Amino acid sequence: MSQMTADQYRAHLERTRRHPALAADNIHLPAGSGTKLSALCFGVALAGLALTLLGAVVVNVKHALAAYQVGVMSVLAIALGSLFMIMIFNLVNAGWHGTVKRQWEHLFSMLPLCVLLVFPVLAIEVIRAVVAGDSGRDGFLLFEWLNPAISGTFLIEHKAGFLNAPFWLLRFVLYAAIWIFLAQRLYSLSKQQDLTGDRWLSQKARFMSGWGTLVLALTSSFAAFDWMMSMDYRFFSTMWGVYYFAASAGASVATLVIVLAILRGMGRLTGAVTDEHFRDLGKFLFAFSVFWAYIGFSQYFLIWYANIPEETAYYLRRMTGGWEALSFFLIAGHFVVPFVLLLFKPVKHSTLGLALVAGWLLVMHVLDMFWIIRPMVYVQDWASLNPGPTGWWVDVAAIVGVFALFAGVLIRKIASGPLVAANDPYLHESLKHKNYVG
Amino acid sequence: MSIVSGIADYFPFVVRKPPARFRTEDDRPVHGIMAEYDSAADVYHAAEQVRDAGYTKWDVYTPYPIHGMEHAMGVKRTFLPLVVAGGGFTGVGLGFLMQWWISGVDYPLMKQGKPYAAWEPFVMVSFELGILFAAFTALFGMLALNGLPRWHHPLMLKERFLRASDDRFIIVIEAEDKKFDPDATVKLLEDAGSSRVDLVEDE
Repeated sequence: MSQMTADQYRAHLERTRRHPALAADNIHLPAGSGTKLSALCFGVALAGLALTLLGAVVVNVKHALAAYQVGVMSVLAIALGSLFMIMIFNLVNAGWHGTVKRQWEHLFSMLPLCVLLVFPVLAIEVIRAVVAGDSGRDGFLLFEWLNPAISGTFLIEHKAGFLNAPFWLLRFVLYAAIWIFLAQRLYSLSKQQDLTGDRWLSQKARFMSGWGTLVLALTSSFAAFDWMMSMDYRFFSTMWGVYYFAASAGASVATLVIVLAILRGMGRLTGAVTDEHFRDLGKFLFAFSVFWAYIGFSQYFLIWYANIPEETAYYLRRMTGGWEALSFFLIAGHFVVPFVLLLFKPVKHSTLGLALVAGWLLVMHVLDMFWIIRPMVYVQDWASLNPGPTGWWVDVAAIVGVFALFAGVLIRKIASGPLVAANDPYLHESLKHKNYVG
Repeated sequence: MSIVSGIADYFPFVVRKPPARFRTEDDRPVHGIMAEYDSAADVYHAAEQVRDAGYTKWDVYTPYPIHGMEHAMGVKRTFLPLVVAGGGFTGVGLGFLMQWWISGVDYPLMKQGKPYAAWEPFVMVSFELGILFAAFTALFGMLALNGLPRWHHPLMLKERFLRASDDRFIIVIEAEDKKFDPDATVKLLEDAGSSRVDLVEDE
């Protein structure tokens, strides 16, 4: 593109825009669509979060917080994964993703909401720790290291420089600032290009993506340490950040597939997002499902071999007391089933087929977060490793509530503008994208 | 190339090559008919006509890959991926079985107090063997399905055929094809825009 003169480039954009798939009614939703659906989502979200609050009162504050955290970390993963994908595509000057790019941008522009959703957990935990003071009993907090009663004990001693409330909150501000900056800037560059058709905006986005991927990799890893791994302050795993990344990239592709399948079901994006794009997204789903299993096994394997009590406790907890059923279900559901299904071309080529696999993988993603966070609730209380069915409705309410909120905002975003970044310099490549193999 | 004549190429003492369907006037077996085209577009459209005429034993030779040629030729999707999957899973299974037998049955050694037949350390070697078997099946399966390697091919004796790696786009229809007919096939290729049609002889 950069070799073209300004006039040539303008002519190139004109030519691309005349493509029949870019007709106005194909890349716009009818005015006012989605308002009812998003209102319904907000209603569900309100009910779900209210029920969570009720759960905090009648069941257990810690339980409700954990349930809510499962939902939040799941949607945060979707947004972070999308930011990563778009930055990688910018870096490699990808052409094929031109017509699906805008939906990915919608997904990562949800980051401000996701970050906002994380904050209450941190705030409530810090407040509970401060209020309880030295009288806090063992296992009273979800983030146990906040408890003043355990400060100075051997295993927390060396980590206290990192795991302390002020630095924890400061890190939250840092991650939030970086993510919101990256997301808003990339989103606004792309939206600006919609209006002006300036090709150098893509170069700016590309430049940002260079340092952006590095910063995102570090911040998302540390956020995963801070908001999930540190729930058991004795536990540590250097692969934790990669594990969360693997989960987030997969969740992002799965959500994108569902969004695109719904838009195609509404008769939009005909000829713009084709079976060929779906096939490539299917390959991504396959790859990230395998990558998740690879990282998950590597983490387990290192801990199994080293056999250090602080680390093995993590897996011991998930292989006893009823949790082992979920562990094995995750291996089968998050890896084996999608692995076999996505090997077949007809599954990847069919909108409905791939959407079903993506939906399944998204459920598995939530269960994965649930598997990580939920056993921490009764972590100190070895006598009741299996909390049993008590309070399961709190988990359902919190997860559904958070996802409904996410969906409500997302629907509004999608309905608010064109469904395709119509002035993307490489859009013509995406419009004629084909898999020449098989 | 039928299966029998393919085997006969390698093991002439096992099966005899079936006699050629057509022979030249000086009694040499006919391999097929070769038609030259001047451009990628010409050969593409000619291939579509040959495909629509129902030929099965033929091929297109070009100096560079032409996108979409597999559609113009009506090439069916290969079943090689299924074979590769079979090879991969066999590798995983054999790798697991081997290690289980060595560590768990034949020569159990106590290591770090872990169970003898713990599955965890077996995963890596099983995985690697799965990759190895899959890669080998992919490579050798591809070669076998393509009838490679081979000592000789009748086309290699044809001087003009060598231009397929330079500036000519060539279609060869083999005499083994059921639809092959000395007159009709030549006419088809000429009508499709061939600049020159030649007979390819076998020995």
